[in-house]
Amino acid sequence: MAGRGRGRRPFGTDSSISRGEGLPPGLQQPTPVFPVMEQKPLPLAGGEEAEYLLALKQDFRGVMKNLPFFIKPAAAQRDVQRYSDKYHSSEQTNSLTDWNLDWRRFPRELQVHIRRRVREGLAFSTMDSSVPVQKKKKKKEEEEVLLKLETLEKKEEHEQSSEEEEGGVKKKPEEEEGAEAEEEYDEEELEEETDYIMSYFDNGEEFGGDSDDNMDEAIY
Amino acid sequence: MTAQEVRLCGLLLQEHFGEVVEKVGRNLLKSGTQNLRAIVHETGLSVDLVKKSLCVLVQHGACSFIQGRKGPGSPTEYKAHCDRVLRILRYPRYIYTAKTLYGDTGELIIEELLQRGHMTMSNTVKTVADRLTQSMDEGSSMDYGEVSATFSKLVETHFLQRCPPAAGAGTTGSSQTANSTSAAPASSTAPTPESFPDCYRVPQVTLIGRSKRSLASEEGEDQRNAKKAKMDPETHGDEGIYWQVNFERFHQHFRDQTIISAVANKLDQTSSEIVRTMLRMSEVTTSSTAPCTKPLSANEIFRSLPATYNIPRHILDQYLTLLVDDPMEFVGKAGESGGGMYIVNLNQALANLARATLESIVQERFGSRSARIFRLLLRKRHLEQKQVEDFAMIPAKEAKDMLYTLLSQNLVQLQEIPKTPDFAPSRTFYLYTVNQLPTARLLLQNCYKTVANLMERRLFEAKESKRLLEKSQRIEAILASLQASGAEPEQLTEVEEMITAPEKQQLDSLRLHVNKLDSAENQVDETIFLLESYISSSTKPTS
Repeated sequence: MAGRGRGRRPFGTDSSISRGEGLPPGLQQPTPVFPVMEQKPLPLAGGEEAEYLLALKQDFRGVMKNLPFFIKPAAAQRDVQRYSDKYHSSEQTNSLTDWNLDWRRFPRELQVHIRRRVREGLAFSTMDSSVPVQKKKKKKEEEEVLLKLETLEKKEEHEQSSEEEEGGVKKKPEEEEGAEAEEEYDEEELEEETDYIMSYFDNGEEFGGDSDDNMDEAIY
Repeated sequence: MTAQEVRLCGLLLQEHFGEVVEKVGRNLLKSGTQNLRAIVHETGLSVDLVKKSLCVLVQHGACSFIQGRKGPGSPTEYKAHCDRVLRILRYPRYIYTAKTLYGDTGELIIEELLQRGHMTMSNTVKTVADRLTQSMDEGSSMDYGEVSATFSKLVETHFLQRCPPAAGAGTTGSSQTANSTSAAPASSTAPTPESFPDCYRVPQVTLIGRSKRSLASEEGEDQRNAKKAKMDPETHGDEGIYWQVNFERFHQHFRDQTIISAVANKLDQTSSEIVRTMLRMSEVTTSSTAPCTKPLSANEIFRSLPATYNIPRHILDQYLTLLVDDPMEFVGKAGESGGGMYIVNLNQALANLARATLESIVQERFGSRSARIFRLLLRKRHLEQKQVEDFAMIPAKEAKDMLYTLLSQNLVQLQEIPKTPDFAPSRTFYLYTVNQLPTARLLLQNCYKTVANLMERRLFEAKESKRLLEKSQRIEAILASLQASGAEPEQLTEVEEMITAPEKQQLDSLRLHVNKLDSAENQVDETIFLLESYISSSTKPTS
């Protein structure tokens, strides 16, 4: 019928408005961004409780930024390799290794990458190009080794025996990422007690005794 | 999952977990249940980052996973929980409540659990004890037993609960918790934590000793002990039993507090004490979704009043009668036995509090006369234009203006009642009406939008002055290290002068703005809590 559904008259034509008046002219542009307010809002509630809540909130945010749950996106690859890169890279890896998950509560498919990540340490943004990743990885490994030499000296005393076993396992040529994954698994299984990644550490026992065919730089 | 909720969740995830988790979380919230490959494809992030983010989300309970929904070979699917992410806004309130109820120890326990998602009891106790020791004086340290006692108290009063054992994750079939009595098949509905009978049972934990000071202790044995702790993880008999914060219980507590303070504001202190007593007595007997508490006789209430309030029996009866007659209907009478059986109408109280909130919002936004019209329509349901003018005692032109403003903001609806089958405007009644529940939902979405706007503004302000903030942080670090190594006052003043006076002013004003915005977020969250409780209480099916 006329007037039902789509054909409804605008509601302004009800009996309360006299004939000649009409509605105010329609809005031709979006409303202003900061319109003038006739009623000003009330001031915020102050007081001890509100301030304590505020302090709690800001503290909580600050703490969360430093926990291992805060994931920073992969650092943008710069065009030129810079000296400060090796320091930046060590900063990032520390947070990832702090968090010990109980894998029984998580689906298995989320599992592999943690071990991987910890082993490689850095190049988690590009997994497709294998060759440049490995080269960069090796360079970074050796820089890691040099950096962590001092701190891991003590570790070495405690774990002399387990180290020598793994030394041979580690020095195999690292072309196959697949085979590497299994080796990493074994290494990680044996080294679960520590936070430090033993595979980074070159304790010098094998100095001069290993194969040089994959080393691009001299060992210091 | 409305657009405003998704936007707010995204901002919260970004602030607390970083941009990567935010992207993944947003994608899950918008697209519903998805498997890993789909998430990787849609977000465009690397597989490793996505896996890590999913671990973080599952750890904090914001995401759950279901395996084998479409059969044994299908991939694991992940689902994000919007309301769980929105709880992050309320964390300071939970921590503060724990502090008022259980002191500093309780506060730190809740804080640790909120930061970590879920943890075992032994881990929590150790971490909290270490933190407490650091803030105590030299030489004294916190005993594990005290912290464990507070933990047990929190569990007894249901503020903490066990995490439900993950269904079908990792190991095949063997139960993870030492005593989960239900077999965990891959069911399609996620079991709530309370469906497990051991939800609130404290496990036998062997945790004796005191916490050790971790920093700068010269004793060699301390260092060796600390190292040993890292190398062989000590088992305390509660492996695999994880605890999480029970938000529902906290919400119950907040609701009770709100009702008590409302009674105190409307009537007086004594009546609020009576209501507090009644609520305390019904804590254990009433479930969280019950519309009202179990009936309590006036004799019981009289006996359970706190000792400081020794009012005679007939005064108590008068107070109770007053409470029952009050239009807010907090307390109702359910019978005459035992000197009168009284109940607290929880749902009714929430509805009234929500109504008061709506009225106050309209008042602050549009003025007291519009608020008068709004209240009128709430009480009288349907009114014509002419009746509105008469009842509200407002001249016709202004009343019309206000009604149209409210209508354009969707706070008031128009109901057409035709006299003839064609809706001829001259022969149709146009009635104005207000529906409380849809209006509450509308204003709740407005609140979410408000909080999201506040957060964005705060991030914008911080980003504008990023350089200045970094400079001031560096200078503070330098000052701290100088003071620790014992420098002369001249050096300190020299370093302090590195920040110029106008920069200091800028920093101060920035800090003031950021604090104001943060404080405003906390306040809006109180309104959000009230509206959310009202909406969930009125939509829940009452048995």
